[in-house]
Amino acid sequence: MALTLTCPVCGKRNGYEFRYGGEDKGPRPAEEGLTPRAWCDYVHMNTCTVGIQKEWWCHRDGCGAWFTTFRDTTKNLEVKPPEAENGQA
Amino acid sequence: MDRLKQLPTLRINTDEPLTLKYRRKTYRGAAGDTVATALYAGGVRIFGRSLKYHRPRGLYSLDGECSNTCMAVDGIPNVRTENTLLKDGMVVDAQNVKGSANFDWLGFIDKLDWMMPAGFYYKTMHKPAAVWPVAMKQIRKAAGLGVISPDDEMKGRYDEQYLTAEVTVIGGGPAGMAAALAAAESGHRVVLLESRPHLGGCFDYRVTTNGQGTHLYERARELAEQVKQTANIRRFEHAAMVGAYNNNLITAFQVGKAGDGFTERYIEIRSASVVVATGCIERPLLFEHNERPGVMQVGCAHRLARTYGILPGKEAVFSVGHDLGLEAAVDLSDLGVKIACVADIREDGQRPDLLEALAERDIPVLGGWVATHAHGGKTVKKATLSTVEGTVRRQFPCDLLVASAGLTPVSGPFILAQAGMGYDRRTGYFLPTGLPEKMFPAGRITGINDPDAIEASGRLAGLEAAAAAGADVTQAAAAARQAVAALPGPERGCKLVTAPVKGRKSFICFDEDATVKSVKQAIDAGFDVPELVKRYAAVGLGPGQSGIPGHNLPLFVAKYTASTGTPKPTTVRPPLVPTYIATYAGYNHHMFKRTPLHDSQKADGGIFRNIGVWQRARYFSEDFDCKEEILNVRNNVGMLDGSTLGKFRIHGPDALKALQRVYVSDMSKVTEGRIKYSAMCNDDGCVIDDGVVTKLGENDYCFTTSTGRAGQASEWIRYHTRFDNWDFHIVNLTDSMGVINLSGPNARKVLAKAVNIDVSNEAFPFSGYREFFIRETIPVRAMRLGFVGELSYELHVPASYMQTVWDMLKEAGAEFGIRNFGVETQNVLRMEKCHIILGQESEQRTNLLDVGLGFLWDRTKSDAKTVGAVALRQAENDPGRLTLVGIRMADDTRAARDGAIIVDTKVRGYVATMRKSFTTGEAVGMALVESQLAGIDTRLQIFEDECNGELLDARVVPMPFYDPEGERMKL
Repeated sequence: MALTLTCPVCGKRNGYEFRYGGEDKGPRPAEEGLTPRAWCDYVHMNTCTVGIQKEWWCHRDGCGAWFTTFRDTTKNLEVKPPEAENGQA
Repeated sequence: MDRLKQLPTLRINTDEPLTLKYRRKTYRGAAGDTVATALYAGGVRIFGRSLKYHRPRGLYSLDGECSNTCMAVDGIPNVRTENTLLKDGMVVDAQNVKGSANFDWLGFIDKLDWMMPAGFYYKTMHKPAAVWPVAMKQIRKAAGLGVISPDDEMKGRYDEQYLTAEVTVIGGGPAGMAAALAAAESGHRVVLLESRPHLGGCFDYRVTTNGQGTHLYERARELAEQVKQTANIRRFEHAAMVGAYNNNLITAFQVGKAGDGFTERYIEIRSASVVVATGCIERPLLFEHNERPGVMQVGCAHRLARTYGILPGKEAVFSVGHDLGLEAAVDLSDLGVKIACVADIREDGQRPDLLEALAERDIPVLGGWVATHAHGGKTVKKATLSTVEGTVRRQFPCDLLVASAGLTPVSGPFILAQAGMGYDRRTGYFLPTGLPEKMFPAGRITGINDPDAIEASGRLAGLEAAAAAGADVTQAAAAARQAVAALPGPERGCKLVTAPVKGRKSFICFDEDATVKSVKQAIDAGFDVPELVKRYAAVGLGPGQSGIPGHNLPLFVAKYTASTGTPKPTTVRPPLVPTYIATYAGYNHHMFKRTPLHDSQKADGGIFRNIGVWQRARYFSEDFDCKEEILNVRNNVGMLDGSTLGKFRIHGPDALKALQRVYVSDMSKVTEGRIKYSAMCNDDGCVIDDGVVTKLGENDYCFTTSTGRAGQASEWIRYHTRFDNWDFHIVNLTDSMGVINLSGPNARKVLAKAVNIDVSNEAFPFSGYREFFIRETIPVRAMRLGFVGELSYELHVPASYMQTVWDMLKEAGAEFGIRNFGVETQNVLRMEKCHIILGQESEQRTNLLDVGLGFLWDRTKSDAKTVGAVALRQAENDPGRLTLVGIRMADDTRAARDGAIIVDTKVRGYVATMRKSFTTGEAVGMALVESQLAGIDTRLQIFEDECNGELLDARVVPMPFYDPEGERMKL
């Protein structure tokens, strides 16, 4: 409940206002050579990173934007992008 | 009892008398009294009986750290009377007593403690198994605290407040006030929380002086006045902190005082930085009968006299381990308490001036002595003191035994904020090993005790917190750091945990009646770390939230197990102090949306139900089968308020692409002037939404969603296009537009009277979409749909014009006998046509193909670029899925309930919707069944709660049940 997130449009806001959109897995896979297995992995497999993870959030009760941010899953706190910290991703 | 009325430290106003009732007797108190102090002033010494042994219990800490003085107040059980301000006319009652608090018939249980070792509840009376239910019932009758009846209702107003601050200071004592004042200098927003009803903390009741010669109580009032005068400090008095979370989120509960608009309120503060100035509580001294009424802590006795004007006793014995104890002895002696003896656990190290003062008053001080036994049946009559080693004993008659082992910090905020806790060998305090980010300790919690040092540490912490929140206070902080360095630092604390006793009646936890002996038993049984002892011997699980045993337990366990490691306090969790659930609940918000026609629907006799976020008219008569409403639509004409439908406009260069992504159909085929029905799936192919799409122009569309999806629709579309950088806009029109559904064979005649466009079947055919104005003013988007299976117009009208258009249609339809119909009628009508409602004919796992909407899916679209298509392709040939079928009961008078299960040897499916159809006279409905059972005429058996074990017979029949050719909606 202590989470705050920084919306690119509205700035730092209370975590209650946001909806989680899952880990960042990149765009939908291309049609060509797509196997059911690969598709299933894209939709359902998560890395569940212990530490800093890039993920999607929607500012549901605000501007409605979807954006990515980094969160330390061990502390449930938003953090700066790991590149700027010490390169762990 | 007469109060000491002239003391300058008083927090009661004796000019404003209040009364309370306890056991048919009236007690007098004054404004500012707590319930407990008013009772104590009236001579009450036993406030209730303990949880397990029914031991008498009385005032102990005066801060509500144990359940001793929990009572039923005005019908609410377990109220901490020490923390509850007296209000005129309160009625209180003792808890867990058979008889009265003074004469409890179950008091004999105290003698049976040998029958109840640690963990007896888990071990004894379980064999044979039949014994336990009987025994449990008796145990539960005899043990416990307050009693609540299930139909109790909490009275009062419970508010909530969400604040943002740069600096939050927890604790309104001298350090906290100094911190708040220092932090406020930089202009920051500061929040100051104090759990007692007034600021002042450990200065509030003391008459000794600080370095400037000011009495501490005067200094406290000076600081409080300064705080009050500082505009950017928000004070919350009588507001106990209950939770601290990472990211410096602080929660608290404030008790309302007279004139406040709330009984209690929840406060949640998002703060950039936090100062923890929660100070210390006293560490209870463990000796035999250490909780007899008459035994109390130093602060309790001192504050009773100084804050409330009540002499705590006539003849006192002190057994203390801290200078505050000596100070209290001097002060209470001056106020008129006869002090027989002061035993100080410490051999030396006392403040010399206090020793001198005691000597002047002929009060003997025994260094290295400690209380070992409080004698007396119900209240203390006599105390045994002994040397710390237990070599020599002496007895003193007394009615008050002031006992405390020393101080211990209120470190809850640190533990809650997940700081690692360590043990400081100098002070004997549990202190954080590393401070959480932007959290600063101040005051006595750091081990200091000198009044000036307390203030200085507060000032420094306040400045550091301000700096952490972005203020530039470098110079001021450097000066404050110097000031702190020049003043006395942390003092050596007293480490003694238990007096030299066996501990059979030495209570380590008052709430759960856990003794030193039971802790030993738990350790001997193998539960040898504090967290395990805590659970097995139930130490600190009561309403006091580990306030009393929290620090003694780990210290005792470390001693008893001869541990060489660092003792660690047991974990505390929010709420740190007991709180009403009502306060957490806050206002009983009744938050439902109303349609623009709400009032007129109500006036027309609508019976409303909460459906999702809306209130909707479900019926328009007490006949919940809605026969009249249904037949009127089938044979004549009816009107439905469909405003809850999700309504959206999407436009921009990439609007079509976005629609193609989320809808399963080929949306490029949507043409102007026609509606297109389609559905959305999730990535598992499960159908989540259906609705119609209309084209307004190039890359400009309107679409509807089901009522339940309106909240998520635009979020859904944006999510599935988030990587594409497409240029489109979605406008949610759900609340700005209303919907009127005009249905029935006479619908055209009604509409023709109200509008001036050609509504003939040729000009406005089935599936058509038209935009026009009513009386050149009201813009209407009209579409011809067939959801209810009749000639039907759906009119989308701006919300502000809804009532007008509704009234026009009503007037136009009067000659045909137009009637309202509600959601239930619509449900039956569409069920007869086998038009599905998502969520009713589908659940989370139901895909597009299962419900027979596979025809919507355009298989030429790119699978990977259409949400759900990949999964649909895979599910196509999966035989293990449920299929939507029409079913009819063998007995047409007995329709099964929605949700009844279809069984043979196991569950094979369930009934989605079923009603007795007035149109066909049959009991028909739709069901999701395993695909093997989907063949026409397959016999099904249905189980429901009301079938009394006799399965109901049904069979699969063709869909739809009404107008299979679909002619009526195209009339």
